[in-house]
Amino acid sequence: MTPLPLVLAAGGGPVIPSFGKASNCVVQNGQFCSGWFFANWHAVFQPRLIEHIELTAIAVGVGMVIAFSAAILAYKQHWFETPFSLLAAFLYTIPSIALFEILVQITGINRFTAEVALVGYTLLILFRNTLTGLRGIPPSALEAAQAMGLTQTQSLFRVEIPLAMPAIMAGVRIATVTIISLATVAAYIGAGGLGEPIFDAIQTGFKTEFLATGVIIVALAIVADVLLVLLQRLLTPWAYRRRSA
Amino acid sequence: MIKQYPGRTQPAVDDLSFTVEPGEICVLIGPSGCGKTTALKMVNRLISISGGDITIDGRSIRSLGLTDLRRGIGYVFQQIGLFPHMSIEANIGTVPRLMGWSKGRIRERAGELLELVGLDPEGDLKRYPGEFSGGQQQRIGVARAMAADPPIMLMDEPFGAIDPIARDRLQNDFLRLHKQVRKTIIFVTHDIDEAIKMGDKIAIMRAGKLVQLATADDLLANPADDFVASFVGEDRGLKRLRVRTLRDIELDPPVDGGAGASAYMDTSLHLALSRMLAEGTTRLDVMDEKSNEDAVVGSVRLDAITELIAPQQPTSPQDR
Amino acid sequence: MRTSDPFSFFVNNLSLFGSKTVEHLVLSFAAMGIALAVSIPLGVWLGHLHRGSFLAINVSNVGRALPSLALISIGIAFLGIGTLNVIVALTILAGPVMMTNAYVAVDTVDPDAVQAAKAMGMMPLQVLWRVELPLAMPLIFAGIRTATVYVVATATLATFAGGGGLGDIIVNEPSYGTGGVIAGSLVITALTFATDAVLAGVQYAVTPSPLRKLGIRPRTDEAVLEPS
Repeated sequence: MTPLPLVLAAGGGPVIPSFGKASNCVVQNGQFCSGWFFANWHAVFQPRLIEHIELTAIAVGVGMVIAFSAAILAYKQHWFETPFSLLAAFLYTIPSIALFEILVQITGINRFTAEVALVGYTLLILFRNTLTGLRGIPPSALEAAQAMGLTQTQSLFRVEIPLAMPAIMAGVRIATVTIISLATVAAYIGAGGLGEPIFDAIQTGFKTEFLATGVIIVALAIVADVLLVLLQRLLTPWAYRRRSA
Repeated sequence: MIKQYPGRTQPAVDDLSFTVEPGEICVLIGPSGCGKTTALKMVNRLISISGGDITIDGRSIRSLGLTDLRRGIGYVFQQIGLFPHMSIEANIGTVPRLMGWSKGRIRERAGELLELVGLDPEGDLKRYPGEFSGGQQQRIGVARAMAADPPIMLMDEPFGAIDPIARDRLQNDFLRLHKQVRKTIIFVTHDIDEAIKMGDKIAIMRAGKLVQLATADDLLANPADDFVASFVGEDRGLKRLRVRTLRDIELDPPVDGGAGASAYMDTSLHLALSRMLAEGTTRLDVMDEKSNEDAVVGSVRLDAITELIAPQQPTSPQDR
Repeated sequence: MRTSDPFSFFVNNLSLFGSKTVEHLVLSFAAMGIALAVSIPLGVWLGHLHRGSFLAINVSNVGRALPSLALISIGIAFLGIGTLNVIVALTILAGPVMMTNAYVAVDTVDPDAVQAAKAMGMMPLQVLWRVELPLAMPLIFAGIRTATVYVVATATLATFAGGGGLGDIIVNEPSYGTGGVIAGSLVITALTFATDAVLAGVQYAVTPSPLRKLGIRPRTDEAVLEPS
């Protein structure tokens, strides 16, 4: 059920919403009316942007907790990998709108439903990357840790997980960017976020809104990716140091 | 610090029994699959013993908690196993940190050890393993193993993956280090020359059994059977000469006019013989670099050297 | 016809589903076709020459970061509502993944095999055709599989740009009722899985038989990255 307002046009064409004074650009539905954009930043785009970031952060955060725990479990108990992988792959393959609509029947049209679905989409990537990271640590480091008398827990937290960080961070990067994309669609089921202006624009045909929103979302994804790369470099300086002599 | 080694792990190690004296370097050597690495790993229980026991100072290793046992034994192995994600200081400090040492104490100890193994404490503590060569990494590996000052160290082909020139230096540096820090060491290798160079005692193994346990010289002079004889190499006679230097021989007085060729006191007999053959003389002037001005302190005849390795009762070399 | 029961809705509207599915697949394959025609040859060629690795690998990072609905949204601003917009967006989304996979696939072919081929006197094109491509096939195809499934799933969004497809049913509760929405969702899900399954079969068929024993890597293996 879409909660978006329907604006019917008298002449059958798109209706240009009159946000105050309708400038020439707006009336003719040019590609990008900067005046309108800047005038509406605070009312429309900024809050949606913040909502979008929240949506993404929560989904990736919760997904990380679940997938990370699952990966550690699979790392220690091999049998767990296949069932969890299958479940995660299944969730990942379902097209977003479809999953949203199916879940809506169970948990209603709200942000919670969207978050549940989004968390589901993070699981495959985060699980696979974490597990691959853990399995990729050099066996010599493991042998040294064992021989030095580290307990299993100490080895896990001081050696194995830190060494898996590059792969884990790579997974977080991919998951974040993926969720930013999917969260756009989540606006359709009332989750807010940057999808809302797009759905508004679908009703009105207002090009500036399409372009501006699209560009902001793309920019958000790129900025998030870059920030996470920087975070990755910060957390794993050892992966970037090479022999000087 | 005496380690006793009665052990049985079918079929890799089959009735191995010997004692390692404190402060001694005992080398385990033998062909591939002889069980030497298995035996070594039984000491810190990386491999479990299925029969018999290993005691350290009379206490069975089974009576100690696994982690306590391992924290009291240093372990160095071929693949080195430095933690790539930790700085050198953190690597070395791994066991001390588990033992609750303060940061300052760890830093001091790490610096001390780096210097001991021939690296630079100032610059290298904060670097990461990936920035070092294989030889340097293994030096750090040795430092790490010694961090908590364990009385015993296990070394499994530690220099095997390192190029021959660096390996030679590492061996020399390690022997020098051992003179300072007299730990009990069990050293596994497949290289008989390394065994002869490094080992106070050498234990030759075959198919899980101990074939002969002897000093290098004894082993070379009196191999227990044909297997040992062929394993140490047909040139075992010459190899015995590597084990001694001109200090171990009674020198003749210097000859007038000089002998034509010379060598320092600390030259191995092997090298001295080689030099005489190359120069075509049967006598060398012996010089002592420790006295002033390379004074000639004596001379040595070729047959004095060859007599040493003729079949007789074996004589033990004096301190090398 | 409004109804709450997805199954009866489906059964009663087979022709609707049929036509929408066809629309959906036409959209998807149009985009895939163009993307394939451009990205695979480019990726293979760069991989063969072992050039342009920075571009080839990072283009997929960028491609993956592009949010699908945002692209469609931008597209509407420039190209207006309609199928063209959607096809452009889907092509842009599908291309980078396939190009990077094709590049990596050919670039990392066993250099010893390539060297042997050259030493035997094969010309570069023959080396490519007879040695590099067959060996690179599994990974190239993994990229195609990932991209196709992604495109089929994302084509659902075409409805927002007036592009048709199964999305039309899912977002149209006023016309089709809850049953219709659920039915549509289930059908698109089934379609996506079916696409993946069919492509898995093709991937198997396309892998030279000696390499099959190494196991077919699931397409989602491509999602694992190393730090660069």
